[in-house]
Amino acid sequence: MELGVIIAGLLTLAIYSFLYRDNPVYRMAESLLIGLAMGYVLVIYWQTAFMDRIFTPLFSLGDFWVVIPLILGLLMFSRFTKKYSWLSRIPIALMIGAGAGVSMPAMLYARTLKQMSASVMPLINENGAFNIEALVVAVGLISTLAYFYFSREHKGLMGRTAKLGTYFLMIFFGATFGYTVMSRMSMLIGRIDFLLTDFLHVL
Amino acid sequence: MITLKTRWLIFSGLFIIVTLSYILKISMVSQPSPQVEKSFDYLETLPESTIIMVSFDHEASALPEIQPISLALLRHAFKNNLRIVGLSLFAEGTAIGYRLLNKTAGELGKKYGQDYVFLGFKPQHIAAILGMGESIKDVFPEDYIGNRSDTIPLMMSVSNYDDIDIVISFADGDRTVYWIEYAGPRYGQQVMAGLTAAMITSYDPYLASGQLYSVVGGLRGAAEYENLLGKTGKGNRSMPAQTSAHLYVIALIIAGNIIYFRNRSRQGRG
Repeated sequence: MELGVIIAGLLTLAIYSFLYRDNPVYRMAESLLIGLAMGYVLVIYWQTAFMDRIFTPLFSLGDFWVVIPLILGLLMFSRFTKKYSWLSRIPIALMIGAGAGVSMPAMLYARTLKQMSASVMPLINENGAFNIEALVVAVGLISTLAYFYFSREHKGLMGRTAKLGTYFLMIFFGATFGYTVMSRMSMLIGRIDFLLTDFLHVL
Repeated sequence: MITLKTRWLIFSGLFIIVTLSYILKISMVSQPSPQVEKSFDYLETLPESTIIMVSFDHEASALPEIQPISLALLRHAFKNNLRIVGLSLFAEGTAIGYRLLNKTAGELGKKYGQDYVFLGFKPQHIAAILGMGESIKDVFPEDYIGNRSDTIPLMMSVSNYDDIDIVISFADGDRTVYWIEYAGPRYGQQVMAGLTAAMITSYDPYLASGQLYSVVGGLRGAAEYENLLGKTGKGNRSMPAQTSAHLYVIALIIAGNIIYFRNRSRQGRG
């Protein structure tokens, strides 16, 4: 059996030992997981961000423009000193400004305009048949929006519409919860599959 | 009130049920859902040598769900002689993506550099997605193993999204959203997703609006795809365990409710 499989199997059991109660073996495995994940991500970022984008262009290709982002990046570390922490606002302002500039048109289009147009569907489709889906979407959308509209008291028609909205919300939460249970079960199944096949060779 | 002993019993019951489902080797056939069928048909009808982009945008913890999906789709793509440009916008997905591509390529005798390439990870995913719309080689001057991109045969016929038929993003979070929001509207890039089950409802609005082409979701999605492909894998093998675990959870919910209402009526009488 491969050494990697033995280690993975033992660590899986160590993590699951928490189900019995908190113990040093579990804590060791937990710390190892966090440490390894952090170390791995740090190495990847060091290579792909610093080495590939700063070090190589600057020292191998002679691209001195990268000094600007390098300085901006270093300014972020000024937060560690009280006296110069204000300097970190420069790269932060740049990041937020550029981020907002790039994101806002894209998000407005993808999350608002496209979603609005997708929500408005004809009740009679091209074949002349009644589109029940369009009706459900319209009722669900209006009633859910009514639930989140707080400028008017939820009484009378408004109250009944908002109440209907809560049912649509519950259906959504139920579906999401169901899928989440499915997802978490899949993780357990994946581990048991590994333990039974690769680690213990029972199957 | 749940005591520690009750908790152990619940966990032990779940473990026994899942283990038994494997040992008894119950066979189950899942009918393909419209979304899985749509994904399968899309890859099935693509002409040979078409270039697709596969992005491994997930953490290692999502592997039990994502791996069966990605294996099924990659096998299908290689079987139909599609060419694959792989990458990752999530640091943890980098080594996983490279391993899965090599594994499936090895099974079907595909050559690195000609039939597939793995470009590795790029931080700042929005900048990377937008940058690839102009030039993929500028964003990834080298591939994961250090070859210059302009010397790789497959990359010679790839400039930007114009040369990529579809992007398939395997994700356990919101990374696919960025593909939809940035590569979609600006560059007209079509996007397909392989998602963990927990994320499916978050992507429903994008499916309904047509911004996302299709989804293969969770272990069930993987099992359905494997059935269409005619190659049984981890998805199918896990289905009996998945079903019995769900039945167990439903039984627990019913039992919990019975206990709750019984206690309430007792307290009411008291």
